[in-house]
Amino acid sequence: MPRKSIFFDILRISIHQVIMQRRRYLGVILAVALGTSGFIAIITMGRDVKRTLNRDLDLLGGATLIRAYLDAGHKYSKTQQFQPETIEALRAMPGIEAVSAIVSKPSSHASVQRCNVDFHVVGADGSFWDVNSFVPVKGSFFTAEDVSHKRRVCVLGTKLALKIFGDADPVGRMCWIENEQYRVTGVLGGVAVGDLVDFGFIPITTAKEYIPGLLPPQKLYIRCTSWDDVKKVADAIPDVVHRLQLTDSLRIEVKWEELKRVKSMAWWVELFVYFSTVATLILGGFGIWNGMMATVTTRKAEIGLKKAIGAEDRDILAQFLVEAVCLSFTSALLGGVIGRGALEIGSYLLKSRPQDTLFFTCVGLALLFSLVLGAGAGFYPSLRASHMEVVNAIRDE
Amino acid sequence: MRSAMNNASSPAEENIPLIQVLGLTHAYDNGTGPIVVLREVNLGIQRGEMVAIMGPSGSGKSTLLSILGLLMIPTAGSYTVLGRDVLKFDRSSQASFRRTYVGFVFQRCNLIDTCSVYENLEFPLIYAGVKRSERPARIQDALARVNMSHRLHHRANQLSGGEQQRVAISRALVNNPLIVLADEPTGQLDRMHGELVMDHFEQIMSDGDKAVLIVTHDAQVASRCTRVCLLEDGALKSH
Repeated sequence: MPRKSIFFDILRISIHQVIMQRRRYLGVILAVALGTSGFIAIITMGRDVKRTLNRDLDLLGGATLIRAYLDAGHKYSKTQQFQPETIEALRAMPGIEAVSAIVSKPSSHASVQRCNVDFHVVGADGSFWDVNSFVPVKGSFFTAEDVSHKRRVCVLGTKLALKIFGDADPVGRMCWIENEQYRVTGVLGGVAVGDLVDFGFIPITTAKEYIPGLLPPQKLYIRCTSWDDVKKVADAIPDVVHRLQLTDSLRIEVKWEELKRVKSMAWWVELFVYFSTVATLILGGFGIWNGMMATVTTRKAEIGLKKAIGAEDRDILAQFLVEAVCLSFTSALLGGVIGRGALEIGSYLLKSRPQDTLFFTCVGLALLFSLVLGAGAGFYPSLRASHMEVVNAIRDE
Repeated sequence: MRSAMNNASSPAEENIPLIQVLGLTHAYDNGTGPIVVLREVNLGIQRGEMVAIMGPSGSGKSTLLSILGLLMIPTAGSYTVLGRDVLKFDRSSQASFRRTYVGFVFQRCNLIDTCSVYENLEFPLIYAGVKRSERPARIQDALARVNMSHRLHHRANQLSGGEQQRVAISRALVNNPLIVLADEPTGQLDRMHGELVMDHFEQIMSDGDKAVLIVTHDAQVASRCTRVCLLEDGALKSH
């Protein structure tokens, strides 16, 4: 008569043993949990971290910024401009974070009291600053609301501000541009600004209303989500533009060399992080293996006793294997909790939140992996326990 | 195996010794040459017998008990239980034999400290495939036979030495085995608790269906057995 399945009893016994010996396993559980939480954090937050990193790196090179323009040297270019529907279609493309269109007039006139200055005026939308990763050195930039309300506000380049206001703080003060009065909201400066220190910026809607002789929008700044998106976006832009408007002078400008260097640097960082995570998980696996070997050695008497009262080799194998799997599964669960904590902190710091489905998928994968890790690391110690000679085991106290 | 060796004895089986050992020899090599532990041991035990095996330390008593419980396999000789050659069993059948026919009582009790009395008694039932619903009654019954019902949910390491030995006896009995093998069961007990343990063994024998083998140094324990065998230098001198 075959014996009834005792799997659930063995599962219960194993869980009981893991609970009873939790202090012995604490280090192993923490190691696997940290590895698992690292894995979860990397997968769920990776894209946001990369986005933040590339934004920061762009301050130095603008690797994910694509400039699309209608070539001013071309014979038809003066009559050509980016149509609103083309800009909207580009904004909807996958891999693009933001698109900013500008209009400009090379020679404008500004004055404050007795000071008169000629400068380059640019009409920009509210996303211009984010797309170009600009930060104000004083005050703040005008916003999308200022643009939609056609407010007469302006941002001055540092050099232009110095010319108009001297050493005085220009923020909040008024100046005249093309015979209209504007309030200065902020000053643009910094490493990435380049020759824009001589420029003045006003909302694009205001510019269209009040600045005569303005050139149409012939230049777009396109910010990609990450450096992985740059190539496919650059390749896809001409198709989108040509589908929606007639033009023969479209030019795409990408900083390929900077992009290559940023990707190379990021690859090494990613490799290091992945290597650290895998190393932690492998160490956790060795920890389980080592812990189970020690357990088998210290519990020889128990193994011998159980065999003496009728346990078969496979019962002992199953018990220790289930113990190892319980250990790794518990660790992965704990890793999920720590990972969730890391995700919450990361979301707060990066000000972006990954989808919950991605998190739960990662936790599911981690739990699945933990089963493999526990079974793999616990197999040899369990096999050793199951093959132990009864009389030798039972005499060991 | 279970069908061939049934607990309920048929008329034909009544004449067959429960245990029959012939020419049992066991030796091992410690690197300097073979050391013979048991020499040509012949022994027959019937149901209802309580046999004491005595002898000086190192005479092979525990080895003989281990072989009878199939904890180890002898170098030579035959060993039959109810006429069946159990030495031919594979590892799985040996385990099945132990959980079905044999109850062990060890000198050091060998209870699992981290488990309760209930859990310690549950292990043999689990390995025997007894339904979970049947286990509490059988455990209570086995504990009641050694007056330990009140300690059901205590951890093993919370019991005194005497109490642990009584739990070990009830663990040996919980599967209602035909053969009880006890290795110095009173060795660590005082006189009073030793007497109590022997009372329990006599109670086990009372149904006349089982056999008990006790390895002991204690003449008083031996005097309460139905037969005494003397083992000297691996050979059975008298029985």
